[in-house]
Amino acid sequence: MFRLQGSKVLAVEMTGDAVKAKNGSMVAYDGQMAFKKLSGGGEGIRGMVTRRITGEQMTVMEVRGQGTCWFADRASEINLVGLQGDKLFVESSNLLATDGGLRTGTSFTGLRGASQGNGLFTTTVEGHGQAAITSDGPAVVLRVSPQFPLSVDPGAYIAHQGNLRQSFQSGVTFRTLMGEGGGEAFQIRFEGDGLVYVQPSERNTIAGDV
Amino acid sequence: MTFRELNSKMVEATVAPGQRLFSQRGAMLAYRGEVSFTPNMSGGQGGIMSMIGRRVANEATPLMTVEGSGTVLFGHGGHHVQVISLAGDTLYVEADRLLAFEGTLEQGTMFMGSQGGVMGMVRGQVTGQGLFTTTLKGHGAVAVMAHGGVIELPITPQRPVHVDPQAYVAHHGDVRNKLSTALGWRDMVGRGSGEAFQLELSGNGAVYVQASEEKL
Repeated sequence: MFRLQGSKVLAVEMTGDAVKAKNGSMVAYDGQMAFKKLSGGGEGIRGMVTRRITGEQMTVMEVRGQGTCWFADRASEINLVGLQGDKLFVESSNLLATDGGLRTGTSFTGLRGASQGNGLFTTTVEGHGQAAITSDGPAVVLRVSPQFPLSVDPGAYIAHQGNLRQSFQSGVTFRTLMGEGGGEAFQIRFEGDGLVYVQPSERNTIAGDV
Repeated sequence: MTFRELNSKMVEATVAPGQRLFSQRGAMLAYRGEVSFTPNMSGGQGGIMSMIGRRVANEATPLMTVEGSGTVLFGHGGHHVQVISLAGDTLYVEADRLLAFEGTLEQGTMFMGSQGGVMGMVRGQVTGQGLFTTTLKGHGAVAVMAHGGVIELPITPQRPVHVDPQAYVAHHGDVRNKLSTALGWRDMVGRGSGEAFQLELSGNGAVYVQASEEKL
């Protein structure tokens, strides 16, 4: 039911069911739609507490209705991700829409988040269904297998899924401290089995300045 | 068709003697042949009266007349460009989104309040687009600008379309537009989903929607 119309507009066909989408991302609809505000970080009291603690305060709306609803966000590229019971980790600012049946929550990212300037927590999406994530420029999907680990620039990382361990890698040396570093002092290293989504652009990060 | 899309952000226009084009001033990127560009004091066609009309309506984006024989490349601000062909119907578009259009088209302004009454007037205030919009009528092509890509959604009597006012680019055809809301009173009280108001377009025609909620 998720369909891309061009690379920057998401069309969702709905027959009485619901999707969750980033607040204010609807650009057009036909048929009958109702928009209701939700909040990120999971549902219920526990979600509310997590949101308070984690600062991962995405505002989400629930869209329910009959017809087609079109979503877009600041002309950024949209990527569709299929989930079959696995978990997607994504920065809340890159999450555009998810099937109503998918559960969203937050997870601790450790040092990586701090280096990205995105906080210590990230959003998780879990269950069976589709999610749409945005990227600055067309994203590539890189496969990680036990033989082939991957290191990614924190500013270019947008999401990952599968059974992956992530660690924070630093190449900070005496030269870096002297201001003669290569400009690539920090990476996130992924090991295991899964997919990593990388955008052809680098957000401003604390790490990027080193 | 006078306009050829070179890529998503540039169009090439062919100018022949006896024909003229209007374009937003400063939107020429390159040209070949003998082409002249004349700033248009009246900001379009129709003489002094329509000029005053446009000034009052605040739809007076500076235009220039392009004449001669050759080809001209247009683009502006890295915005996405969409070419729309008119076959006798009317295109409604904000003046600042007009990149270029054929001289065969008749330019005018429309008071939004004349459609949808008070809500039509509120529409201008909510969308930040003012109370007037530019119309182009007749046979010819128009190049309009948008932030990000543009999708075209058909409007039929069975299938009205609701558009986010910030994502709305233009529409054409025999279409009525009014401001609508998809909220109950409960949602109006501080629990906004960010989708408080939409433009409801009904009738026969098409609406162009950009992949962004940013103004140009």
